[in-house]
Amino acid sequence: MRTVRKYLGVYEHFVMTCFAEAMTYRAHFVLLISMNFLFTLTSIGAVGFIFDHVDHVGPWDRSTFLFFVSFMLVVDHFHMSFFAESFWQFSDDLKRGMVDFILLRPIGGPFIIFFRHIRPGAILSSILSVIFLIHYGMEIGLSPVKWLILPFLVGLSLTLLVSLEILISMSMFWIVESFGINFLRMQFQQLSRWPNFVYQFWIQKIFIFFFPVLLVGSAPVRFLVDFGDWELLSYFVIALPMTWLFIHLFWKLGLRYYESASS
Amino acid sequence: MSMIAFMAYKVNFFLIIIGPALVFFFIKYNLWSAIYSLKEGIQIQGYDFSEMINYQVWVLIVSLLSQGFFSSQLAEDIRLGRISSYLIYPFQFWQFHLASFLGFQTIQMAVAGFTILILFGSDLVQVPTWEILTSGLVMSFVVGLIWFSFQFLIGLSAFWLEETWVLRVILITVTQFLSGSILPLEFFPLWAKDLLSMTPFPYMTHVPVKIFMGAYEGSLPILVGILLLWLGIISLVCGLMWRSGLKRYSAAGM
Repeated sequence: MRTVRKYLGVYEHFVMTCFAEAMTYRAHFVLLISMNFLFTLTSIGAVGFIFDHVDHVGPWDRSTFLFFVSFMLVVDHFHMSFFAESFWQFSDDLKRGMVDFILLRPIGGPFIIFFRHIRPGAILSSILSVIFLIHYGMEIGLSPVKWLILPFLVGLSLTLLVSLEILISMSMFWIVESFGINFLRMQFQQLSRWPNFVYQFWIQKIFIFFFPVLLVGSAPVRFLVDFGDWELLSYFVIALPMTWLFIHLFWKLGLRYYESASS
Repeated sequence: MSMIAFMAYKVNFFLIIIGPALVFFFIKYNLWSAIYSLKEGIQIQGYDFSEMINYQVWVLIVSLLSQGFFSSQLAEDIRLGRISSYLIYPFQFWQFHLASFLGFQTIQMAVAGFTILILFGSDLVQVPTWEILTSGLVMSFVVGLIWFSFQFLIGLSAFWLEETWVLRVILITVTQFLSGSILPLEFFPLWAKDLLSMTPFPYMTHVPVKIFMGAYEGSLPILVGILLLWLGIISLVCGLMWRSGLKRYSAAGM
C-alpha cells in the first residue's frame, strides 16, 4: 500500500509538471486538440462513407462497426494522452545516454520511462471520441450491464495496447537509431484499429496468437456486442500476463546490453 | 550528400518512410477484400474488386513517389538556431532543402520502381502503357513538389511554434482522407466532392492514381497548369513566412 501511495505521489507530480508545460506552449496545446478532433472526424467519416454504399462489413452493420471505431478512438486518445509521448522520449533518452539518470532514481525505471510524459491537450480532445462511443453504443442498444463494463474494457484494451508497445520499445536497446521503432509501434497500432474479421485467416492467427495486437479492440468489442462471443476475450486474459512476462525479460536483457557515457 | 544521409540508417529509413505506406496498403487490401467478399461480382461506385485493388496499388505508388518527405530537419534547424550559417552560404535556405528533397525523391523513385516491378509480376495491378506510366510519373513528381512546399511551410512555422510535428500530422491526416488515399473520391457525397474540387487535395492522390489507371478524362496540360498554380501560391506563402520569420529570428551571436 505504501509503495502504491509513493508511485501515485510521483505520478501526481508528473501530471502537474506536464499541465504546467502545456500551459506555457498554448499554441501547441490548441493544435494538439485540433489534430485529435480531425483524426476522430476523418476516422468516423471514412467508415461512414463506406457504409453509405454497403450494408455490412463482415458480420457488422454500420452502427456496430462505428461503435468499434469509436471504442478504438477512445483507447487511442487515452494512449495519446498518457503514454505516446513517453515512447518518443525513451528513444531520445537511449540515444543520449540519459537512461542512466533514470536508473539511479529510487523508483522503478520502466515507471519513469513510460509514465513520465502526459499530453493534457489530448485528454481534452478525447471528449469527442467518448461522445461518439456513447452515441453508437446507444444505437446498438447496449444493455445497462454492458454500459457498466464498458469503461473497464476500455481500460483493459489500453493496458494491452500499451504493454505491447512497451514490449516493442524494448528493441530500442539493440538498435542504434531507435527513432524508427516508434513508427513500427504506430503501424501495429494501425492494425489494431480494424476488427479482426477484416484480415485474412493467417494474418488473424499471427496477430492474435503470436503478437496479439488484434485482441486490443476486437476482443472487448465483440464481447460487448454479444456476451456469447467471449473466445477472443479469453485469449486476451492469457495474452496480457504473457506480454508482461516478456517485458520483464527483455527489460533485464536490454539493461545488460545498454551502453552509455557512464557505463 | 542528402541521399547518403537518408540511407545512413537503412532500418530507420524503412520503418519511417516505406513501412507506413506498405502497412497502409496492407490494411486497405484486407478491408476491401472483406467488403467485396460479401457479394461476388459486386460493383461499388463503379469499382469492382480488382479495380479497387488496382486503385489502392497506385495509391501506394503515388504516396511513395510524392508524400514521403518530412520537414522535421528543417524545423529543427530553425528552432535550434542552426540557420544562421545558411544566411552566409552562397545558396539559399530553401535551395538547400529542395536539393535534399530531390535526393530523397531519387531514393523514392528507386523504391517505387522496385515496388512497381514486383506488383507487375502479381495480378494485383493492370500494367499501363509507357505513355500512361510516364504521365503518371511526371504528375507524381509535380505533386511531390507541392508536398515539399507544404512541408516547407510547416517547417517554417518553427519561427513561431515550439513544436511543428502536430502540423505535420494534421497535414498527413487531412491529406490521406481528402485526397482519396483511404477511399476513392467517388465514395464521397456530391457536396463534399464539389468542395474538394476547389482545393489541391484531389490532385495529391486521386488524380495521379486515375492517370496511372488510364482513367483520367481531363486534359493533362491543364492539370499541370492547375498544379503549378497551387505550387506558386504555396511558394508565395512560404516566401512571405520566411521573410516574416527572419525578422523574429534570434540565435547565438546575432
